[in-house]
Amino acid sequence: MDPITTMYVTQGMHGVAYGMVLFLVASGLTLIFGMMGVLNMAHASFFMLSAYFCYQITIWTGNFWLALLLGPIATGILGMLVERFLLRKIHALGHVAELIVTTGVMFVIAGAVKLFWGTEFLAVSVPKILDWSVNIGGLVYPVYRLFVTALTTIVLVFMFLILFKTRLGMVVRAAVSNAAMVNALGINVSTLFMLVFGAGSFLAGVAGVAIAPSMSVYPGLADQMGMDAFVVVVVGGFGSLGGAFLAAMIIGLISSFGVQFLSELAPVLTFAFMAVVLTIKPMGFFGERE
Amino acid sequence: MTINKKVQWVLWGALLILLAFLPKFAGPYLTNVFVHFAIFALYAVSYNLLLGYTGLFSFGHAMFFGTGGFATALALVHIKGCSLLVALLMGFFSSVTLAMVLCPIVVRVSGTAFAMLHLAFSMLIYTLALKLRKITNGEDGVSGFPIPAFNIPGVISFDMKDTTNFYYFAIVVIGISLWLLWFVTKTPFGQIMISVRDNAKRVAYMGFKVPQTKAMVYAISAGFAGIAGAILALFQNVISPDLALGPGTSFQVILITMVGGVGSFFGPIWGSAIFTLLQEFTSRYMAHMTELIMGVILIVVMLYFPRGFAGVLALIGSKMFGQSPKKNAHGG
Repeated sequence: MDPITTMYVTQGMHGVAYGMVLFLVASGLTLIFGMMGVLNMAHASFFMLSAYFCYQITIWTGNFWLALLLGPIATGILGMLVERFLLRKIHALGHVAELIVTTGVMFVIAGAVKLFWGTEFLAVSVPKILDWSVNIGGLVYPVYRLFVTALTTIVLVFMFLILFKTRLGMVVRAAVSNAAMVNALGINVSTLFMLVFGAGSFLAGVAGVAIAPSMSVYPGLADQMGMDAFVVVVVGGFGSLGGAFLAAMIIGLISSFGVQFLSELAPVLTFAFMAVVLTIKPMGFFGERE
Repeated sequence: MTINKKVQWVLWGALLILLAFLPKFAGPYLTNVFVHFAIFALYAVSYNLLLGYTGLFSFGHAMFFGTGGFATALALVHIKGCSLLVALLMGFFSSVTLAMVLCPIVVRVSGTAFAMLHLAFSMLIYTLALKLRKITNGEDGVSGFPIPAFNIPGVISFDMKDTTNFYYFAIVVIGISLWLLWFVTKTPFGQIMISVRDNAKRVAYMGFKVPQTKAMVYAISAGFAGIAGAILALFQNVISPDLALGPGTSFQVILITMVGGVGSFFGPIWGSAIFTLLQEFTSRYMAHMTELIMGVILIVVMLYFPRGFAGVLALIGSKMFGQSPKKNAHGG
């Protein structure tokens, strides 16, 4: 392949890989929003916390796979606790109050992370088995990134199977469209909310551990990922998984090609795209309600 | 809290005398802290006009705050012999202009879409301010611009580099701004504003124009946020994207307003006082825990005092005077 094509293919693959991770984070966010009407400001903080858990577990045990298992579970449990003991108590006060409380959780996690791990960039090494690059006709690509894409795909396939093929998924989808009605049908919506919040945090946790070896772990991780994830959810339309997927892919490609072609102004592109979409469709691609 | 008129006048008088003599006994450091508090009080009150009175929740109020600051700073850098009041008005009108440009887009929506549009536009402006280095100097921001003296030709001239003089200037400007905002909420227009929050459809049905009302409130709120930003730029002699335009500044005003009490006009002022004290305290004794403490306070306030500090005051007032808390604009 000539170098130009190689560049396009490499940037395209980077974009898709980032888009997949982004969708993993954003899917949890959009599910939570669709169901509970809560824009969870702390979502990206869970993502970051999980990356730190990954760092700590690999320090203690030296085993990345254990971190990949335990990190997301810990984050998921934490998410359930936040829902049970904070959000549920102020549900009656409306959405702005819930927004503020999750903002509080965001600050607490950011502060706690700085207190325990400091503000340095911490490196997590890529597991030995994945620490090499493939060479396809002159295109050198790190295997770990392929692994991340594969992992996120598997997790997402599982999520779709649960959501669209099981009874639990049916109830969740019903609650996304009308929680009060599902409650009236005799299903414990409070427990369901807690589970969905936990599952969303779990997905963010998987993304956090998956991304830890390829990016450094540092407190700014949440801001960087959080902004992109919000843009994805907003552009895709609140509560719409299909819209989020489309938006995640577009944002992933925009940021990877943007860095290539106009390195300085790349971050502007994402927000300009968001502003244009919202100006034309205030509810995003597939959003229907406020 | 309903105290009778005479006591109220006495209290206002006492406050005025206190403000007039503050620099005499507080010293330059505390005077500066007070100016900082007053700037954020104006910023938060202007935000409360949107959130508390009109029910519009915005994630990006910092764009008006920062635009005002940058406009004033850039005017002083580029216009030779620009006077102080002209620079200040420059901040006001550039924020109003920005609001006017955004108006046609944002007044059509409300709720989450309104909040999200503001996130988009404010982040756009923030990243542009970071990246257009030739105009804004990137992360460093505009600094070291000349601060002109406040002078009425032939009458008086005050050097604004002096802490005490700047204190009086800032307090007078912010005081007049706050009074104007308070006046707006008491006019019939202020009543329509509150009605738009409570039931927009009905307001439209009664023959008032909802989008135009929103646009007016929006422009007023933006303009006064711009004045607050302009005074911040003059006060610190530096204005940078992270200081005035960033998402942190947008969040800060939400926190100040919520903690102070979104329910009343004076709530955000209490909120600004609380946050200024908190910042002084944490930056002095436990700088590394600022975020943690802010987060905990936020959660505790929302869980136990959802109407903020002003709500607590009203409760204490009703307990002490045996009257029910005055019916006020309570949003949320």
